[in-house]
Amino acid sequence: MTTLLTINGATRRFGGLTAVDGVSTTVAKGELVGVIGPNGAGKTTLFNLISGFTPLSAGKVHFKGRRIDGQKPFRIARLGIGRTFQNLRIFPNMSVFDNVSVGAAGMLGVNAAGAVFGGKARSEAISRRAWAALEQVGLQGLAGELAANISYGRRKYLEIARALAMEPELIILDEPAAGLNDTETRELAAFIKRLHGDGMTVLLVEHDMGLVMGICERVVVLASGRKIADAAPEVVRKDAAVLEAYLGVEE
Amino acid sequence: MSDRLRPLLVVAAVLVLVLGVVPAVLGAFDRSYLYQVANLALIFVLLAASMHLVTGVAGLLQLGHAAFYGVGAYTAALLTTEAGLSFGWTLPLAGLGAAFVAVLVALPTMRLVSIYFAVATLGIGQMLYLVMLNWVPVTKGPNGILVTSGLTLFGYDLSRPASAYFVVAVVTLASLWVIHRLSHSYYGNALRSLREDDQCADAMGLDTVRLKIESFAVSGFFAGIAGALWAHTAGYISPADFSFPQSILILAMVVVGGLGSLPGAVIGALVLILLPEVLRPVGDFRNIIVGGVLFFSILLMPKGIIGEVSALDLVRRQLGGAWRGEGTKAGSEVGWR
Repeated sequence: MTTLLTINGATRRFGGLTAVDGVSTTVAKGELVGVIGPNGAGKTTLFNLISGFTPLSAGKVHFKGRRIDGQKPFRIARLGIGRTFQNLRIFPNMSVFDNVSVGAAGMLGVNAAGAVFGGKARSEAISRRAWAALEQVGLQGLAGELAANISYGRRKYLEIARALAMEPELIILDEPAAGLNDTETRELAAFIKRLHGDGMTVLLVEHDMGLVMGICERVVVLASGRKIADAAPEVVRKDAAVLEAYLGVEE
Repeated sequence: MSDRLRPLLVVAAVLVLVLGVVPAVLGAFDRSYLYQVANLALIFVLLAASMHLVTGVAGLLQLGHAAFYGVGAYTAALLTTEAGLSFGWTLPLAGLGAAFVAVLVALPTMRLVSIYFAVATLGIGQMLYLVMLNWVPVTKGPNGILVTSGLTLFGYDLSRPASAYFVVAVVTLASLWVIHRLSHSYYGNALRSLREDDQCADAMGLDTVRLKIESFAVSGFFAGIAGALWAHTAGYISPADFSFPQSILILAMVVVGGLGSLPGAVIGALVLILLPEVLRPVGDFRNIIVGGVLFFSILLMPKGIIGEVSALDLVRRQLGGAWRGEGTKAGSEVGWR
């Protein structure tokens, strides 16, 4: 298995607080890895370090053998990392289709002269990708709707479709189950599993232990910014340090 | 009606109206005042359309647009009066001059967000206005510049009111076509995503800073083009033509027409230029009526005369720019071809 993403001693300090403290791990091509941890464990910060939204205080991040820390988010995205956000960030005043097409356009490139004088090749490539991503999440019937008008659950899929339209090699999902009920969470778990089955490499940050334990091949556990476990779900489940972090230890 | 025929008919209708019906009506009355009003209306259509791109589509609240209009007008006027260049040169150079100033302005300000960016453009608009007013050796200051020559193309004199109208109309229509292609394409989609959430657009692989600077420059370019049209058809320019109230007037056109909507910007400009002219018989009272129309239109139609959603829908269906997924029914056109 080839390694896609390598995180080496990633550290991020905010003033006196060390949000992520020397975390190292790797993600191989085709893997489905979960990152869990209690609130404030540094999960989202770790994601932002990978996607370039937060600069590292120390450490390195490599993607496909290239060093990506210190690069701008759009350059990292173009290398093949698609992401979603913790608090659902869609483009509310744009149609579902237009939302998704932005993902495709970002990867294929936009330029003013091409849009004015160029042929239809670029726009058709963008449209095809966007349509394929919508079909993948089953939103093609709502393509013309304004994103603000569709239900919360569907917006979650819209956000994933937008990342899929980038045709990334690695997709990172930041708490995709937040705000979903049990049925919706189960559906989402099945969807992520199917996505992974189709060959996508997925890095999943999730609060919902059940979701992560149920579908991930490997789980990275963070607590207070440090990695305390990195193993298969059944191993992590019995790990003393993990149990302590989640349940507290009896005096 | 077939999908191929409809866009051609829409374009033909616009061309017949602007290049056929309007000049015929103007010719029948043959008063230079009416030609002046028609030119002014077209120039403001172009100004509103160029502001639509940066403020409506890319979401950057621009409060100094008139200053770029002024840079274009002064560039054209000075190149004509001082260097003796004709319209074929002054028009593109006025656009490029304004675009150049826009890039200079954009470089330091693009990292500002929302209201802070707006205040920065307000300051820059004021600065450029004060340069026009006080750099007397070059701009002639408050006396303005008399532009009596220069409206010639390939040696033909186009300064007669009727031919000048055609020049303004053709340049405006061509510019509108470019702005239409920019706003109604994947490029416009990318700009809209900056307006909605630029961090998120960044994560999609869009170079958000480059796109913002680009949209600002393109918008400045067309404001400069409008300035050249004004300098050559009005015959006289002075700093007051490019002051802050003019920026606000253009902003009002874009908002009343529908923020983010190109047809809205065009209609907003026509309403706010033609309404005061139509109301001329009622005297000074007309300004109160125009104010009232502004107030009530925004109260009753906060999304504008043609809101963004309906405008995009209209363009997709009437101009055939939409893409249709396989197996979807007619009427569900999405995206841009």
